[in-house]
Amino acid sequence: MSTTTSIVERLRARIGKGEPSTEATVEAGHLKRFVEAIGDPNPRWKSEAPPTFLVALVPVSMHLEEAEEYGKGWLNGGNRFEYIEPVKVGDRITATGKVADVYEKTGGSGSLLFIIFETDYVNQHGRTVARLRGTAIRR
Amino acid sequence: MNLTVGQELPELVKHPTTRQLVQYAGAQGDFYEIHYDQAYAQSVALPGVILHGLLKAAFLGQLVTDWLGDRGNLKTFEVSYRGIDVPGRPYRCRGRVTKVDGDQVELDVWGEDPDGQRTTIGSAIVEMKS
Repeated sequence: MSTTTSIVERLRARIGKGEPSTEATVEAGHLKRFVEAIGDPNPRWKSEAPPTFLVALVPVSMHLEEAEEYGKGWLNGGNRFEYIEPVKVGDRITATGKVADVYEKTGGSGSLLFIIFETDYVNQHGRTVARLRGTAIRR
Repeated sequence: MNLTVGQELPELVKHPTTRQLVQYAGAQGDFYEIHYDQAYAQSVALPGVILHGLLKAAFLGQLVTDWLGDRGNLKTFEVSYRGIDVPGRPYRCRGRVTKVDGDQVELDVWGEDPDGQRTTIGSAIVEMKS
């Protein structure tokens, strides 16, 4: 059984190291299921991705297995999207993520572990279309 | 349309259901059990299944894109999850213009539960077409 300190240290060793890239094509059927699920009837989303769609296209798992010895469960702390170009049906997107930071915070209700991920999304023309920063929390 | 600081976005009220959480889990590919398995959710000290943070982000994204229409482009969108929300309770999305600098407009956005608690807060930057 490792101590929480060693879990944090082990995770911190991953900071800045790129995770393997994943690729996916924006399909009309998937986009339709996604906009139905979020309940956004805007006809624009028949051919273009709504603001949060990229997380569904190439799910970059922020739930690192090796963090699961810490606490009981995961929470999503927040997400920050930066948009450079619209993402359309037929686009082939490559997502490359990395752990940007890992830290522990102790408050009144106990300790929390924060893992910050950054993901770049690049289209078939080699242009970055969006970036995402996400905060995963173990509690 | 003239944009001024303090202007509020037309609010958007969502009525999430457990069915929607399952639909969203499938569409996003996030099968973490706290979003559809009551017993599991309770085993990790939650009151029951809770909304995906990213589903609440999608609601707030809709608030912004409904308001913006084709008048401009969304440049950044940021949300921070401050509290949990459960299905069966309406989720009220609101926003306000906080800065107007030429074509660049900044907004605060937030989601409120029926008690008026801001369980999600965020911001966005949009670039208006000239």
